[in-house]
Amino acid sequence: MLYETAQQCTAKRTSQVLPLALLMVILSWIGTLPVVLACGEPPSNQSEIAERGMRLKDVTQGSLLFNTHEAGRYTPAPLLKTDVKITITGVIARTTVAQEFVNPSRHKNAWAEGLYVFPLPDTAAVDHLRMKVGERIITGEIRERAEAKRAYEQAKQEGKRASLVEQERPNVFTVSVANIAPLDRIIVEIEYQETVRYDQGVYSLRFPMAVGPRYIPGTPVIIEGEAHGSGWAANTDRVPDASRITPPVQHPSLGPMNPVTLTIDLAAGFPLGKIESSYHDILTIADQDGRRHITLRQDQVPANRDFQLTWQPERGPSPNTIAYLQQRESTYGLLMVAPPASDESVSTSPREAIFVIDTSGSMAGTSIEQAKSALVLALGRLTSQDRFNVIQFNSATRLLFSEPRPVGTDTLGKAVRYVERLHADGGTEILPALKMALKGSPPPSHLRQVIFLTDGQVGNEDELFEVIRTQLGTSRLFTIGIGSAPNSHFMRKAAEFGRGTFTHIGSTSEVKAQMGAIFQKLERPVLTNIHVQGFESTAELFPSRIPDLYDGEPVVLAFKTAAMPSGITLTGTFNARTWTQTVDVAGSSPRDGLSIFWARQKIASLMDDKRPEGGEGSLRQSVLDIALAHHLVSPYTSLVAVDTEPIRPSDASLMIHAVKTNLPEGQDYQAIVGLPRTATNGPLHLLIGLVALAVAFWLWRPRDRFA
Amino acid sequence: MNPIQTTPRPLVMLTVFFLAVGLWQAGEGSWMYAKARLAQLLLQRAWSRTLAGEQLVKPWPWADTYPVAKLTVPSLHIDLIVLNGAYGRTLAFGPGYSESSAFPGSSGTTIMTGHRDTHFRFLSRLKRQDEIVIETDQRTSQRYLVQSSQIVDARTASIPLMEGEDQLVLVTCYPFDSILTGGPLRYLVTAIPVPSALPRSSDTPGG
Repeated sequence: MLYETAQQCTAKRTSQVLPLALLMVILSWIGTLPVVLACGEPPSNQSEIAERGMRLKDVTQGSLLFNTHEAGRYTPAPLLKTDVKITITGVIARTTVAQEFVNPSRHKNAWAEGLYVFPLPDTAAVDHLRMKVGERIITGEIRERAEAKRAYEQAKQEGKRASLVEQERPNVFTVSVANIAPLDRIIVEIEYQETVRYDQGVYSLRFPMAVGPRYIPGTPVIIEGEAHGSGWAANTDRVPDASRITPPVQHPSLGPMNPVTLTIDLAAGFPLGKIESSYHDILTIADQDGRRHITLRQDQVPANRDFQLTWQPERGPSPNTIAYLQQRESTYGLLMVAPPASDESVSTSPREAIFVIDTSGSMAGTSIEQAKSALVLALGRLTSQDRFNVIQFNSATRLLFSEPRPVGTDTLGKAVRYVERLHADGGTEILPALKMALKGSPPPSHLRQVIFLTDGQVGNEDELFEVIRTQLGTSRLFTIGIGSAPNSHFMRKAAEFGRGTFTHIGSTSEVKAQMGAIFQKLERPVLTNIHVQGFESTAELFPSRIPDLYDGEPVVLAFKTAAMPSGITLTGTFNARTWTQTVDVAGSSPRDGLSIFWARQKIASLMDDKRPEGGEGSLRQSVLDIALAHHLVSPYTSLVAVDTEPIRPSDASLMIHAVKTNLPEGQDYQAIVGLPRTATNGPLHLLIGLVALAVAFWLWRPRDRFA
Repeated sequence: MNPIQTTPRPLVMLTVFFLAVGLWQAGEGSWMYAKARLAQLLLQRAWSRTLAGEQLVKPWPWADTYPVAKLTVPSLHIDLIVLNGAYGRTLAFGPGYSESSAFPGSSGTTIMTGHRDTHFRFLSRLKRQDEIVIETDQRTSQRYLVQSSQIVDARTASIPLMEGEDQLVLVTCYPFDSILTGGPLRYLVTAIPVPSALPRSSDTPGG
């Protein structure tokens, strides 16, 4: 049978002419065949570089080309490797971040200066800087920010190795390293201290790795003669330092960069139960004395998402009081008191829930999916006595209903369909959405809760905090940080000013557990009106006003006092009853680093109150005094290290390179900085369709006549 | 011997298969073009209502976008309604205004994108000094003159929005005649405003 068919084919060649002609017509109409693959053709800039004399074989993989001042010559940017060592003792963690800058250029006159904008935990107290050159170590000093910058610039001009660490945001820092010789390396070690978070029985510590691309609102303002940062954004009236917090982003197709190695030494102070890393694979080795040594399973990971470690006691609740003391010129202390867990039933008071979801370009990819499933879960949790509304924002703010509506099958169904259809693109204009969410007064019987789902990738945090502080009214604001590298500073502070609490969702598998935890906080009674008694009158306590505590949260206090208190009493109101707890701190274990903790809390407290009575000047002076006394980096102080001898020959030039950062994992480059896709599959469908029709026609040609 | 030779059964199946695929794919392809055309008719109606003062007019009841401007190129007889948002779903119906750029008619860089094979095919025929008119929902018209066109790599290029200068950037995929989608190249047409904003055409006296 088949043989017959084949014979017919060759015999009746005339019947093939028509389909072939048809195919040719189709092809010529759609465009010539050679251009079929042209949309995937790379642009010709590589050959351009080659023409200008760049030897491509000199470029090692992963390095980047930067334009030099000298026409026709490109030099690769310094390569960066980061090694992180975290030591956790109880609830205090000390971390050393060693950043190794290598100048990969072989050209003997290509000296480099590297600038790297990087994240640290938002509560980090950065107090040490060491610059390692070969075997030598140069220790950094704390200086007033402008003075430190001058010292660094001068050393740079003189050809000395130098490094500078500046704070741009509580969680964004810039390190500058000058005079890296060709094929040489400089290691910058930064040390900081932080306290671990304790919440609902679980301890956690987060180490951020990438500053995601942030949305910069406002009109560009360029001040002539003033130094411009190395970022991709121009400074604007609303974000005056935008160019300093927007590091250039590596295109994902060029592969990840900035490898990180990480080890943790964990001494929890109690028998450990579960230890988990939320987003990375880890290896845990137990020591004889109960300490744990934790490393990443992979030797190194790209700096493109936050690392988070969580741990909890082996059995039963952990001690509900932790007190540490440090004797210096005064007594410094840390006090953590967890109110006993309540089994009280779900709060019966009706709620008015306002859900605000960020649908900006930085949410595109996995983030928007996490946010959507979190929001759908939250909607399902509402009861018939509640009222609700959904607000989405990107460049524009959109409301589902003009005002909050009672929960019913129709309204809820509409909301779920609305949320499922959301997609992420455009800018991050949080301000109007925030104002809209805080506006409106619920019936007096209702508790008003604003639940904000965002990655917080904006540059105008302070402006937003001010709005929350002044327009909060009776609402409570809860932030849910979405994505692999959210702006944790925004999450924490927005919730703090909003008298709510915050949480993070970093992967789709976390949505259920994290939302479950936040529902518990939203639905259980809150411990309010918390006061501390027992300290002498000159004692300084931070936070000065203790925030309301949601389910599972402890009071965390930093104090400095002249006389040791014997007993401290905490009081508060819980579910319309008085709560009292007495703590004996006299016998507490001595610890180091509590003065640092206290100083960092005091700076945070001062910075929260941006408009003190004496104006900006007095705020600056107060922060300066504390930061200089405790050797801390702050908005007004920087660490600077300068080598003794000049090493760069006066005729060799120094190129400035901004080290690129990875796009946070799961984000969509196109949606943030790229150009949209602008072609349909129409022509392709037509081509496939017509070819298929032609084949069908050819198969079905009238063969019986020739039989 | 059987005088009537029957067509082998696998061949029938194969033919039916190719016929089905052919009709389906050709239909799919044609539908994209038809949709692009039809939608513009509905959009013209929505635009008239927008000009009459209605806000955020949905061109069809289930639409999740609305017209924001009208783009005309007198020399090429192009007349298009621009939609809010530059997403795949909106671009099927008309060119989209990219929400991260300046709103049409306001100062700054306005970016509009369209498909190279439907609405924005005419970009390939735009020449320097050609006139583009943008009519906004505020009933004002702004004339632009084409300044330049260039081909960029979307993986490395971005359009600077922060320069504080008024311009209109039209973006489409490149090359125009390619069959495959998803390529990295984009065709950018930059136009700058003609200083004096002229009143709208004579059919609406008084404005």
